Amino acid sequence: MTEETQRQGERPVSPLRRRLLGYAAATALAGLLGLAGQNQIGSAQAAEEIVFGGSIPLTGVFAFAGEGVHAGIQDWVQIVNEGGGIEGRMLRYEPEDTAYKVDASVAAFKRITSQFQPNLYYGDSTAFSKTINPELERNGRMIMAGASFATELNDPDLFPLQFMAGPDYTEMFGILLRHVADTQPGARVAFVYSDTEFGRDPIEPGRERAEALGLEVVETIVTPPGSVDVSTEVLKLRRARPDYAIFHGYVQAPIPEFISQARQMGMETRFMGTFWSMDHTVVMGMGEVADGFMGVMPYRYYYDEAADAPMLERIREMRPEYQSTAYMQGFLTAMLMTEAVERTLAAGQDLTGSNLKAALNSIEDFDTGGIIGVPISLPGNSIPVGRIYQADTAAQKMVPVSDWIRLDQTGG
Amino acid sequence: MDWLFFFEISLAGLGTGGLYALTGLAFVLIYKATRVINLAIGELLMLGAYLFFGFAAGLALPHWMAILLTLLLAAVVGGGVERLFIRPMLGESPISVFMLTIGLGSILIGVVELIWGPNPQRLPEFLPTTPLFLGEAYLSSKIAAAFAAAAVMVVAFVLVFRFWRGGVALRATASDQAAAYSMGINVPQVFSLAWVVACVIAAAAGMLVGAIGGIAPTMGVFGLSVLVVVIVGGLDSVFGALVAGLLIGLLEALAGAYLGGEYKLLATFSLLVVVLMLRPYGLFGTHEIERL
Amino acid sequence: MRIGTAKESYAADESLFDTAVQWRWLLVFFALLLIFPFIATPYWLFMACLVAINVASATGLNILTGYTGLVSLGQAAFMGVGAYTVAWLEINLGTPVLVNLVAGGLMAGAAGMLVGVPSLRVKGLYLAIATIAASVIFHFIFANWTSVTGGVSGLTMPPGTIFGFTLDEPRDLYWLIVPITVLMVIGAANLFRTRIGRAFIAIRDRDISAEVLGIRLLRFKLLSFALSSFYAGVAGGLWAYFFRVVTPESFPLLMSIFFLAAIIVGGMGSILGAILGAAFMTMVPEVLKMVVNWLSPWLPDAVALLSPVRVMVFGALIVGFLLFEPQGLAEMWRRLRRQFHLWPFKT
Repeated sequence: MTEETQRQGERPVSPLRRRLLGYAAATALAGLLGLAGQNQIGSAQAAEEIVFGGSIPLTGVFAFAGEGVHAGIQDWVQIVNEGGGIEGRMLRYEPEDTAYKVDASVAAFKRITSQFQPNLYYGDSTAFSKTINPELERNGRMIMAGASFATELNDPDLFPLQFMAGPDYTEMFGILLRHVADTQPGARVAFVYSDTEFGRDPIEPGRERAEALGLEVVETIVTPPGSVDVSTEVLKLRRARPDYAIFHGYVQAPIPEFISQARQMGMETRFMGTFWSMDHTVVMGMGEVADGFMGVMPYRYYYDEAADAPMLERIREMRPEYQSTAYMQGFLTAMLMTEAVERTLAAGQDLTGSNLKAALNSIEDFDTGGIIGVPISLPGNSIPVGRIYQADTAAQKMVPVSDWIRLDQTGG
Repeated sequence: MDWLFFFEISLAGLGTGGLYALTGLAFVLIYKATRVINLAIGELLMLGAYLFFGFAAGLALPHWMAILLTLLLAAVVGGGVERLFIRPMLGESPISVFMLTIGLGSILIGVVELIWGPNPQRLPEFLPTTPLFLGEAYLSSKIAAAFAAAAVMVVAFVLVFRFWRGGVALRATASDQAAAYSMGINVPQVFSLAWVVACVIAAAAGMLVGAIGGIAPTMGVFGLSVLVVVIVGGLDSVFGALVAGLLIGLLEALAGAYLGGEYKLLATFSLLVVVLMLRPYGLFGTHEIERL
Repeated sequence: MRIGTAKESYAADESLFDTAVQWRWLLVFFALLLIFPFIATPYWLFMACLVAINVASATGLNILTGYTGLVSLGQAAFMGVGAYTVAWLEINLGTPVLVNLVAGGLMAGAAGMLVGVPSLRVKGLYLAIATIAASVIFHFIFANWTSVTGGVSGLTMPPGTIFGFTLDEPRDLYWLIVPITVLMVIGAANLFRTRIGRAFIAIRDRDISAEVLGIRLLRFKLLSFALSSFYAGVAGGLWAYFFRVVTPESFPLLMSIFFLAAIIVGGMGSILGAILGAAFMTMVPEVLKMVVNWLSPWLPDAVALLSPVRVMVFGALIVGFLLFEPQGLAEMWRRLRRQFHLWPFKT
């Protein structure tokens, strides 16, 4: 402190100002203590309920999926609670919007975990899952699933408390390629993918799987994220003349423009997609060109009236309007999680992350009420089951063109 | 070397280049008249596409009427933006105005998302979809039509810019504001005019871009490539924007075809760096001499 | 009441604070920072760390843009360079945390100098766009130099350890992040009491005049780029320790715009401005979310409005501050202080 500032410091401060400042400081302190207090109240509440937390992308670029997931989890939680909960303990679903941004997701996670003690958690992106998994292991109370089917997460050694309610992206490719190899042995296939983490995920392993099945990968085409014009990419595809082209890493655009230009060129290629571009609304939104568009889907569509699908009937009762495949994903994820809780409680064990995951892994030939058409098992982090559906634009339906394909049974 | 392939790729690239040139034109127009770098150009383009979507799909108006209404409304938006946001910033540092347009872009994205939702949509088809072959070479008819529309608009614009009184006033303002004032030109009105015309052009470009690739609130990233176009061409050169537009379209297509899609943006931005190092004021821009 | 502060020496004029009251407030603030981790919930700790990281980076950008007058839209890319450097060192060499952070800063600083090279030939908005080019090119490197950066899936790093403590929770990381940020902010504040900082300001006010006065433009512009990127690099390194997953998509162009917006809202060319701006802009989305949660009983669809409203508020804050309060929050703060000082007189 210099001499000058000392001298200024001696000047009298007006009493009113001092009082005001005092108030301000007191309010600030009270505020902070209030924040701390919130914590204790929250943990007291969470003692008997089983909390299902969620970083859900209700807004932003992934909102179409987040809304579905949100509704699916809500409905399953309602079904369980109407049935008296799990061993008398009610479920409590605590979602928060993330706008599909990692920092917002983590912030939501911190807030939910500091206010409640969730045992189950739904996360949105791959990056979020990777960030939070070490925390899950330390925390030791939770298992997590999410909107990401990233191949990387399907590794029980690296991500012991994570799972996904469906096949990972590589397994989706495996299912598609199995179907191709069955219908047209030795076919020429091309992969078209976006230059993102999501897009690049299954490309290299997919190539290996194709070769193992005796298919020839004639071209891999990468498009920049958010690209508008795909005419150069279509020209490339035309040179390669594949029998099948698989899109991955997109939701809708630029698939319709791609197909329509390819049709204009007179190409006979059949186009396929993976989970996120296979929702009914997405495919039908592509317009006329979608006719014949195929893809892999691990769940039955909302309007499937198969006799062995009582759960779909139930869903249609709860929600009379169409529900997306993201809804099915959220619904099934919640169903599997509560099944794990039920098994853990039935065995008289504590609800810890590792107990829950072990219970989840003990699921074998489980009946999902018809959401998946075959009994499922969850030996690791994924359920490598799916079916090929095809768009019928005249009937405005997605119709199955293959039987359920299980990669786990025949060693895909 | 497959020459047919090369030819087809080049055609496709020039097609996109036409849209770059058109949008670049809107950008240059604003810069020339008002010295404002308008980073919201991509978002204005997006807004145009959504307005058309609203009229043609939402209200189910006939396409010609939807197009007219879109252009009209875009003109209103342009005038309004100039009056509300840009005019009060007259005399502020260019950096502040530049940032203001970034904020404006963000507001536009929010408004569009609020009205039409965040999910991508498809525009009703208003461009021809019959296949087009030049000899052996295939050209997407949508791209050809978009290119033709862009070319017509560019020619019309250049003629107006040259001969119409308003165009002359605009050029006079661009070359010397004080002199234009003293000759009795209403300079603030010229500023408004520049924004109105630029927004109309951007909306037209937006409809064409949306017709090809679908629309989404994020389609403003198209503006990023346009930014490269105008910097390479020279911020105040109409001719530069046209040449650079075609050049960048071609470069992106070739890089995408021969190197892979991940190289598209890299190629254009590398070109930008090279041009900035060799000719800091763009290929055809005016090199202004600074005096104290 | 205090009408003004009479300064009787150059030292007094250059000092950071002109009254002792300010020093006392600063002590109170530091005391709050000290007790904060003991009373706050994990969520608030998380937000505090995030704010601190953003403050560090925004302060760096303020050196370049607010004080030297060079607009950069590459701040996120430089953070990325720092984050990747730190993650790579932590994974492959396991060097101490502080060494890694400094290395990340230096690496980003070097990258910044490289990007700054065109700044002598091009300036103003051309330069801003050149920095966009830099961020595109860095993004390409992050995504494609797979052997070092892990490609699109990025690097996942173990938690850092310092003096035997494992830094894997905000509660621990707070003690790393906040002191470093405080140090960096103090460093920046003192920078502008030295010849170098004054040279930056001279360049901002009129670079040709500055050159006439004997300031080597290239050297000082590059130095400004290097310093600003160093700050970004360290902030990026802290970010890496904080999230422990670094991917090419972690540092988008939008993040650079966020930092520019932060210093505009806070006040360009003001140390306090960068702090206020970064804190404010980080908290706004969270506050909006809380508001929506409160509103949700009355407005069932409020959540769906959240994302567009957030984007609009972000833009409106930039536009509004530029139009109505170009000096930013820092100026509002100063006005508030003046009111207290001059009360009961009007300002």
